[in-house]
Amino acid sequence: MEDAVIRLEGVWKIFGDQSKEAMAAIESEGLGKAEVLERYQCVVGIADVSFEVAKGEVFCIMGLSGSGKSTLVRHLNRLIEPTAGRIQVLDANVSELSETDLRAMRAKDIGMVFQHMALMPHRSVRDNVAFPLEVRGEPKFKRWEISQHALSLVNLDGYEDRLPKELSGGMQQRVGLARALASDPAVLLMDEPFSALDPLIRRQLQAQFLDLTKRLQKTTVFITHDLDEAIRIGDRIAIMKDGRIVQIGTPEEIVINPADEYVADFVQDISKLKLVFAHSVMANIKGYKSENGVNLDDAPRVTEDRDLDHLIDVSVTTDLPIVVTDQAGKDIGVVTKSMLLKGIQGGK
Amino acid sequence: MATETSNTPSQELVESIETFAGQNGPYYAREFVKIQSAKGLPRSFNPTAALLGPVWAAARGLWGYFWVFAIINLFALVQVGRGLWGDLGADKLAKATRLTAKSDEMAQRAIDALAAGTSNAEALQRNSDNLAKAAQRALEAAEQAAAGATTVLIFGIILVLIIMAVQGYTSNMAYEQKYGRWRIDKSEGSGVNMKDIIFGIVMIVIMYPLTLYRFTVSRPMENLVTFPANKDLFNAVAENLEGWFDYIAVQGADVFDGVTATIRALLDGLETVLVGTPWPVTFLVIVVLAWRLAGPRVAIFTIAALAYLAFLGYWEKSMATVALLGAAAVLCVVIGIPIGIWCAKNKNAYTVVRPILDFMQTMPAFVYLIPVIAFFGTGKPPGILATIIFGMPPVVRLTALGIKGVPESIKEAAIAFGCTKRKLLFDVEIPLALPSIMTGVNQTILMCLSMVVIASLIGAEGLGSDVLVALQYASKGTGLLAGLAILFCAMIIDRIVQGRFVREDDGR
Repeated sequence: MEDAVIRLEGVWKIFGDQSKEAMAAIESEGLGKAEVLERYQCVVGIADVSFEVAKGEVFCIMGLSGSGKSTLVRHLNRLIEPTAGRIQVLDANVSELSETDLRAMRAKDIGMVFQHMALMPHRSVRDNVAFPLEVRGEPKFKRWEISQHALSLVNLDGYEDRLPKELSGGMQQRVGLARALASDPAVLLMDEPFSALDPLIRRQLQAQFLDLTKRLQKTTVFITHDLDEAIRIGDRIAIMKDGRIVQIGTPEEIVINPADEYVADFVQDISKLKLVFAHSVMANIKGYKSENGVNLDDAPRVTEDRDLDHLIDVSVTTDLPIVVTDQAGKDIGVVTKSMLLKGIQGGK
Repeated sequence: MATETSNTPSQELVESIETFAGQNGPYYAREFVKIQSAKGLPRSFNPTAALLGPVWAAARGLWGYFWVFAIINLFALVQVGRGLWGDLGADKLAKATRLTAKSDEMAQRAIDALAAGTSNAEALQRNSDNLAKAAQRALEAAEQAAAGATTVLIFGIILVLIIMAVQGYTSNMAYEQKYGRWRIDKSEGSGVNMKDIIFGIVMIVIMYPLTLYRFTVSRPMENLVTFPANKDLFNAVAENLEGWFDYIAVQGADVFDGVTATIRALLDGLETVLVGTPWPVTFLVIVVLAWRLAGPRVAIFTIAALAYLAFLGYWEKSMATVALLGAAAVLCVVIGIPIGIWCAKNKNAYTVVRPILDFMQTMPAFVYLIPVIAFFGTGKPPGILATIIFGMPPVVRLTALGIKGVPESIKEAAIAFGCTKRKLLFDVEIPLALPSIMTGVNQTILMCLSMVVIASLIGAEGLGSDVLVALQYASKGTGLLAGLAILFCAMIIDRIVQGRFVREDDGR
């Protein structure tokens, strides 16, 4: 990728006293996770992870607890040091930054939102939001001005001088988001930001977040254990298991083409209606015509980028199959009722 | 929907109990089921346990049970032994013999005196009669004690029987409890273990005969009653220590003088402010402080308490005491908070500091007055030093606790936004730990105050010395008044410091 803002190459993290020896053994002998634990009493947290995130992209990392997703995101601002591999954020090699440069980068270029909000209870909402600016040494009146702006981005005008404990969970997390946005960083790291909230508030915040990312165009790495959330928010999704990335792809790719049974298990219960599009379920129109010899002139027509939900709406009005056209209006495929049902089911 | 339960235990339960009990498995399976199905107190009697008690417990690995019953059994057996063989009237009988001999001697001297015609013959005769009467009384008491032996014997036997019954009825219940623990954790031990039996029997063989011997024989071997300690060793060590103290006092004189001078400077400053300032000013400042920090109720209490001190003539002494205490508290906080922070950050530091803190708190104050006097002499600064030793642990402990209690997630967030270690400490950790730290400061102040009487022993003047003097002359009125004065000082300080934080907590 030319314009990659974040680039990870072969990143490993091994926890334990003998992590270096374990890493060497993994490189030379190709040890597995269990062997490393047995021989070196070391736990493999992250195993050979590589990916790139483009500018302005929202990159979701999805995995169950213990899959290493939170560990991975902490490598991007070096809250955790990698055992091996290269991590590049913007133009800097994160592992080689000096303490001072690292702090400067954390304060200026990377904003982070945490699962448990992690607001400071003794500071007002405004002073919480202004914390990264304070670290950077901005004068107080400027800090207040900027944090005011950040708070209005998340619709919290009027709450500046409250203490965090006076706010509801959803509002507190919006303060967390405002804090991450306050220093106008190029990169946003979101560590399960909405997991601790109840479902209704979660959906509201997801919508608000989507709206914000469209407007602000921040490069975002978003951690979640909820595939629905990943699909809703992510431009691309990486699925993690046992410290490895199992699959990277757009939501549609992952739903239609799960890389292995693990991913397939996840995807199984996801509704495909809004995720799968006509071009993924259609059959070739020429082949169909020659086999069945049906006249399709009266059949309804949809463009190839319409989703299954729309196909169902069309299908209930007719007995004929649906003809799929490309953007130019040329017939390219056909979807019968059985194909449509298969598509909803997730088969092909 | 009710599942059908039968009254017979499942095969799985019976097998599990049999595995646990090992020897006599079926018996215990039956008894445990009886215990488990009982609604009130289960009636499960174990004859072996009733008879053998501690030995049974040892065999089954019930060590708590073993020790409790080993000791009560021993007590009961000692009663039986005393009743059977103990020469209970022995000492009184000896006294009677002694008195009779004396009386005879007196009588002899009286006869001699009468023969010689001396005037005191009559007095001697009277003495002799008195002694004879006393001997008679002692003889009667000895007989009574000997008769009491039967009572002791009966008491002992009844006790033994009761203990046996208790052992019989409780043993299976205790064993069933152990079975429950064993189901959770297999390292709990099960069945009958030869090593355990041997250990239990050895313990009993060591404890029982020696103890019974000591209580039943009228003149047991001297070495059994008192430990054959070596007096020479004690003297040598004490002398050696004394030499060391003198050596250190001489060698470190400069350091000790420096410490004394520093404390004195601080104390002089505080005394000038508190004692030197005209009393209406001090009075007003303290009351306003109480009002501002802790509210009107505390302010009214403060006025009343200060009035007590002023009208009874304790004003100056109270201020001197508060200055003393203030100096000690300031030093405690200045030294204690950094140590507390260090302990919170560094695990090794805490492992070293903690036993020292325990030592400082548990050591009786009189003991460490000795080195304090040896090195720093007497007067106010050494008194403050002794107070610091006693008062510092809470602030160190609670600071460490508070800093450690700062949530990891908040610290991580601060670091993720580029916070330096310094800023993390001063802007995140200390503010979040402040309630805990202030509790520590408050406790330290109160502990310092409780030391003023002891500190006055080595010449730290103030209210404490009034109490001390009252104690020496047994003047109850003075002592009570001075004691109340100390109490009021403590309450004013406590209310003001505490009131501030209670108020903040209310807001939360």
